[in-house]
Amino acid sequence: MTNTTISVHLDINGRHHDLALEPRVTLLDALRDRLGLTGTKKGCDHGQCGACTVHVDGERVLACLTLAAQVEGRAVTTIEGLAREGETHPVQAAFLEQDAFQCGYCTPGQIMSAVACIREGHAGSDEEIREYMAGNLCRCGAYPHIVSAVRQAAQEAAS
Amino acid sequence: MTVHIKSHGDASDGAFAEAVGGRLSRVDGPAKITGAARYAVEQQLDGLVHAVLVDSTIAAGRVRAIETARAEAAPGVLKVLTPDSIVGLRTASDWFGTPPPDKPYFPLARDITFSGQHVAAVVAETFEQAVAAAALIEISYDETPAIVDLNDAKAGDGIPVDAMTKEWGDAPAAFAAAPVRICAAYNTPREYQAPMEPHGLIARWEDDRLTVWEPSQWLDGMARTYAEWFSVPFENVRLVSPYIGGGFGSKALALSHGAVAAYAARMLGRPVKLVLTRPQTFTGYGGRAATRQTVTIGAAQDGLIQSIVHRGVNETSIDGMWVEPLGSVTSIMYATPNFSSRQNVVRVNSVVPGAMRAPGENPSAFGIECAIDELAYEVGIDPLEIRLRNYAEQDPHARKAWSTRQLREAFATGAERFGWAARTPKPRSMRDGNQLIGWGVAAGTYPVRRAHGEAIVRILADGSVEVESSSIDMGQGTYTILAQTAAETLGVPADSVVVKLGDSRFPRAGVTGGSRLAGVMTGAVYKAATSALDQLVGLAISDPRSPFHALQANTLVVANGRIASPRGDGPDVSIAELLSGIGLDRIEASGDTMPANSTAEDRYKNYTTISMALPHTEGDYSRHSWCAHFIEVRVDEDFGTVRVSRVVSALDSGRLYNPKLAESQWKGGIIMGIGQALLEEGIVDRRHGRIVNNNLADYLVPTNADIPDIEVISVGIPDPHSSALGGKGVGELAIVGVAPAIANAVFHATGKRIRDLPITLEKLI
Repeated sequence: MTNTTISVHLDINGRHHDLALEPRVTLLDALRDRLGLTGTKKGCDHGQCGACTVHVDGERVLACLTLAAQVEGRAVTTIEGLAREGETHPVQAAFLEQDAFQCGYCTPGQIMSAVACIREGHAGSDEEIREYMAGNLCRCGAYPHIVSAVRQAAQEAAS
Repeated sequence: MTVHIKSHGDASDGAFAEAVGGRLSRVDGPAKITGAARYAVEQQLDGLVHAVLVDSTIAAGRVRAIETARAEAAPGVLKVLTPDSIVGLRTASDWFGTPPPDKPYFPLARDITFSGQHVAAVVAETFEQAVAAAALIEISYDETPAIVDLNDAKAGDGIPVDAMTKEWGDAPAAFAAAPVRICAAYNTPREYQAPMEPHGLIARWEDDRLTVWEPSQWLDGMARTYAEWFSVPFENVRLVSPYIGGGFGSKALALSHGAVAAYAARMLGRPVKLVLTRPQTFTGYGGRAATRQTVTIGAAQDGLIQSIVHRGVNETSIDGMWVEPLGSVTSIMYATPNFSSRQNVVRVNSVVPGAMRAPGENPSAFGIECAIDELAYEVGIDPLEIRLRNYAEQDPHARKAWSTRQLREAFATGAERFGWAARTPKPRSMRDGNQLIGWGVAAGTYPVRRAHGEAIVRILADGSVEVESSSIDMGQGTYTILAQTAAETLGVPADSVVVKLGDSRFPRAGVTGGSRLAGVMTGAVYKAATSALDQLVGLAISDPRSPFHALQANTLVVANGRIASPRGDGPDVSIAELLSGIGLDRIEASGDTMPANSTAEDRYKNYTTISMALPHTEGDYSRHSWCAHFIEVRVDEDFGTVRVSRVVSALDSGRLYNPKLAESQWKGGIIMGIGQALLEEGIVDRRHGRIVNNNLADYLVPTNADIPDIEVISVGIPDPHSSALGGKGVGELAIVGVAPAIANAVFHATGKRIRDLPITLEKLI
């Protein structure tokens, strides 16, 4: 092992974690390999696919381009932290109802992006949803259903 | 093994959502939307270590030396593997089960035949340490000239593949005599499956037993390969693949990186995880081969085809063989009295190409479906009308009746929904401001591939039901449709059925590919569930402890998890109450679709090779799925940018086991087709034979912003000749015909016929 580990204190889904990590460990690998939070997916490790989208202080962030040490003292929310008291988030429910996924691998990132997209006020029309969800690739081609799910959840949030 | 907590019905569907043919939401959906679904390489194992590959940077030549000292001394490194350090592996048989040559297998290469070939590997305590150490490995080569692609002057004409030759009549003579003649060349580039989940695995040995957690479209086939590589009995290898993050043909076979990881795990006595980087997914296995086709059609002035002469070429690797059957659609889509199709393969310095969604049919349709559009314009007939005039009333090649062919219905329904009648035929005749509008049509087809499968159905003491199969769900909906099949057959609610897939310890299944799994496995589950139901009813009638014993009924009805007499004049008890009353804790039945008298050897061959698949033209019928795509494009007149603005597709996949999920698969195929038409192309650096756009920023797949609303319409009818429950294929079908429909629409918009995919702006301005 290297002797260059640092102590990192992470707030993930409202829970506190103390980790001894090398400074080069990404938030994505910290979540998946150290904390067993594998809902956040690794699709490219280069910020090209969006599968690793999480929220840092409520903003969508690519966990593969973020070092774990960068998010000290900031609130990280992953797909595992989206449900409240056992109730799925309305965006999660809309994804299931609209069949907005097939293999499911891009889905956590899509859902995290969708929650932020709605919160940002960028779900006003199908065109806007398509544009603001364009950073999350889905090779199964669930895009039309993702648009339907985001539209449905946005309308529910507005009503 | 996977257990889903809960299934959700679609509220609008009512109770029928749970039966076969109902729009039940995915039963694996709750796990996928919450992040609880644990994919193969996400298992958290004690003592897990990480492997990273180092690949060749030349396309042809030989490794002269590998400098490993700095990597070996790097922090956390446990082992550096080179071609010389992996010894004792044996070459495995291919997917046909052909006995392999008796020679060693080297998953790390010293002789290099393509750029990106695995040469070395580093295993370290952490992923970061392995990545850092891998960067310290220095490889020197003796480089030789490479054949970089089909256009390389050294590539030559290739090797004829006689098995691909299809001929009847005298096609060249009929072409020469035809009053209307067209001839054109159509090219498709290297394309990549690019599933969102990269390939990878965790391998763990316990004595001589190997467990591999790996995304897999074929557990039993991959287990066979690992067993043969490592010379251990087939039964000693367990493949676990609970969820698969997309495959599209690329996750059916065990690959060299799997051998490296399994070897390292055995060497170190620790579980090893190895996941390809995204760039490595472009060379760690093959995408769709680049293809070239010429299509010549001779026709009468009324557009009736008299002759088709077709020549095709696809690339393969230097020491592997891949044939992309380019005459597959050409030979069956239209009636013609004279036909000739032949194909060559050309060896280039590439990884051996592989299966990608509708291999063969996809590029084949690009050729013939563009060519018929060209013929339509040549003779001045509407592109839809010319397809109907040349409609094949039977399989022109096999000369057999179609089992079902709802292609006329697809054309009619699609045209009506799209508004095809309002199309003005002249190119550049429809516009909206500076956007040229084009409407194109093309048909698609895919054969019904049939095989055999096994399943176990268990009725448990609490009345719930378990289904087990080593088949898999990569998003097609296997978990869901098998729950529906068991629920309907047994008469229980779908949410009381737990489907367990993705473990080679379960009853076996063949490859999930060629759209065969749903037909195979619904048949096997139907059979097993019927047998379990017969046992249940038989016991209820005959067991002296059963409340139905005194009734002397011939049969009983099971519905919604309860058993009663058909006339409703006797007891009405739950399955759990009955089982408890007769002192049973379970009823178990296995079912398979293998022919009677099948030997153990037959079964092994059926599940671990593709050699026992049933021909789609077996017996009296030719079995295929069909579709028609109607597509609108908008082309910016100044910039040449092409946007797909509307898609209406009508598809015949026979009976749909779950329309909600089938529609998703169809749309996914269409979207991949849009990518193929407009975006996707592996670009080769001609100096080094490298794929330069080997990542998701440079190899463009469609994004959400590229895709309009897509309307899909089912025009299928149950096809009893294709599967037990009447379905044909779904997953492969819908991509076939999309690219030609777009190319035809681009011609209609611009008057420019683009015959090289993808249709990018520089080809239009």
